[in-house]
Amino acid sequence: MQSENGFYGQYGGSYIPEILYSSQQQILHAFEEAKNDPEFLAELNKQWQQFSGRPTPLTFCANLTEHFGGAQIYLKREDLNHSGAHKMNNVIGQGLLVKRMGKKRVIAETGAGQHGIATALVAARLGLECTIYMGAKDIERQYPNVFWMKQLGATVVPVTTGAQTLRDALDEALRDWSSSHEESHYLIGTSCGCAPFPEMVAFFQSVIGNEVREQSVAQFGQFPDRLYACVGGGSNACGLFLPFLDDKEVEMVGVEAGGKGLELGEHSIRLSHNLGQPGIAQGFATMFLQDNAGQLQETHSIAAGLDYVGVSPIIAHLAETGRINMTYAMDDEVIAACTLLLKKEGIIPALESSHALAGAFKDAPNLPKDSKIVINLSGRGDKDIFNVAKAVEDETFPQFLTDYLASYPTTQNKGDKA
Amino acid sequence: MSQLATFIAEKRQNKPILSMTHVVYGYPSVEESLNWMEKLMEEGVDFIEVQFPFSDPVADGPSIVAACHKALEQKLDVETCLSQLGKIAKNFPDSRIVLMSYLNPMYRFGLDKLAKRAAEENILGLILPDLPIEQAATYQSACKANNIDPVWLVTPVTPPDRLAMLANQASGFLYCVARSGVTGHSSHEGKAKQTSLDDYLAQIKQHASAPMGVGFGIRERAQIEQLTGKADIAIIGSALLDAYNQGGQEAGIKLIKDLFH
Repeated sequence: MQSENGFYGQYGGSYIPEILYSSQQQILHAFEEAKNDPEFLAELNKQWQQFSGRPTPLTFCANLTEHFGGAQIYLKREDLNHSGAHKMNNVIGQGLLVKRMGKKRVIAETGAGQHGIATALVAARLGLECTIYMGAKDIERQYPNVFWMKQLGATVVPVTTGAQTLRDALDEALRDWSSSHEESHYLIGTSCGCAPFPEMVAFFQSVIGNEVREQSVAQFGQFPDRLYACVGGGSNACGLFLPFLDDKEVEMVGVEAGGKGLELGEHSIRLSHNLGQPGIAQGFATMFLQDNAGQLQETHSIAAGLDYVGVSPIIAHLAETGRINMTYAMDDEVIAACTLLLKKEGIIPALESSHALAGAFKDAPNLPKDSKIVINLSGRGDKDIFNVAKAVEDETFPQFLTDYLASYPTTQNKGDKA
Repeated sequence: MSQLATFIAEKRQNKPILSMTHVVYGYPSVEESLNWMEKLMEEGVDFIEVQFPFSDPVADGPSIVAACHKALEQKLDVETCLSQLGKIAKNFPDSRIVLMSYLNPMYRFGLDKLAKRAAEENILGLILPDLPIEQAATYQSACKANNIDPVWLVTPVTPPDRLAMLANQASGFLYCVARSGVTGHSSHEGKAKQTSLDDYLAQIKQHASAPMGVGFGIRERAQIEQLTGKADIAIIGSALLDAYNQGGQEAGIKLIKDLFH
């Protein structure tokens, strides 16, 4: 979606410290050139295909469709990307842009660690130095991802300020960029931040919706009647929705994290039920969860990738104008949706994507039998093994952990062997 | 002429360089921060830059970030802050207060109201580091209507034409960021190329009719001596906060004496 000078209605823009002005302008111009350069686009398509395995399939879910007895349910399988999530689409694009700008280092923020891993993968492939900022609390919750980032050669910096989660990691990445802008690119993971990041990330993610346009016509002879995507930062939703923006008959539903309840601090619902308020922070204007004094507030979701305090200005604008309908799913509904997909279709969804499932499953029984819905399965759930085991109160998992720890070669054991 | 620029011009007749010391409102408590401002005023600092805390201060380094987060453990209110600062401004007519914050809390308070209330409390300058001049038309006119100054920042990497534009629009004073990065000591230092500070200041002076303040990373007397004759105000932020954190008001005052007397 084309912005007007970086704005989408009242949202977006570029509200950054003056020190970042030149670097922001450089990205703006580099992106403008790159997106119109056939050679760049050819390379992008090649890398998407050869490194990430695109196009990803559109999978019909016969069992789920029968189970609900309503709409015909299809999944866009972004979980089948390399790294297991749609994050790859964006990091490949920005990685190529970094090479084009001649920068040697990338900085990224990460919440759950998916964007951190995707960035570390691309940095390794392109020979870039890579520093990932991650909240100290998120590091505790998502250690397997941290492990892989380090193995890939990235430096993972724990952020210990504030709530020690994604928002703080983003602040710290901006601070790094303020001092390292001359040789570093800030490789933001979602369609947020100062212009042109929202537009650029949405551009790279739009491959999702563009593929669905072709696949839906090829597989069932029409565009989908309705699209569903979870909305954290908003990049997978932008990716699926934006290519259908002008097709007025295609309805769009964004699903936010209802978390544990609607009290401030219990959820990450920014775009419905008057829970978010317009604000300007972290480089851009959007709907933020904040108090009356304009201080950003804590958020919660069972899915670490959805608990961001702001949201893409593109999604905020499209929600405000009514093009996208916003809803939310609670933590327990999300686990139920995840479990249902596992049992019915043999697919392990990420908890983030399970929000989109939960939103769609609520509507599916009430939709006509000949209607077609596409749910963006933005990521696979392997990474959530610890959290899902805990949520479904799996009885055998703690014993596995205890046994595993007992067999783990400690420093002491290694010393003995040597 | 700008009230702030007039004040600076008058003060500069007797002083080679003026001092601006930074205090985080509400750190470690509202009471203590107000008391600290008064102590600094008694010590004869020319300006206090009061930072109204924001949860996500992206232009600040670890010292100021930690102080802002500590301050926000209590509820802070812009209106209360302004009236408290107004009292201090009244009690110390030989010094001036400028207010610094980030856009969001001020945007919530209302930028028009902010300019009006600041002027009423004799707070003559406002600094909002995340509000770019391109988005600031209404804020600029609100400041103008109330005869106070929006303070703009320039940096060593600001392109020449933009630097000329910012310097040209500056009233009150122009905040010259001395180096790339965030305020104070931080783990992010030392990655960027350094331009010669003298060349940088000379370049700004070509375009700026407003007085010049220099901040970011100033913590030694030699740095201030280097600025003398090339800038009007030396801005001390994190260094003062670090001293305060280590040895309370006493250590803070000692630093100010070492730097300016």
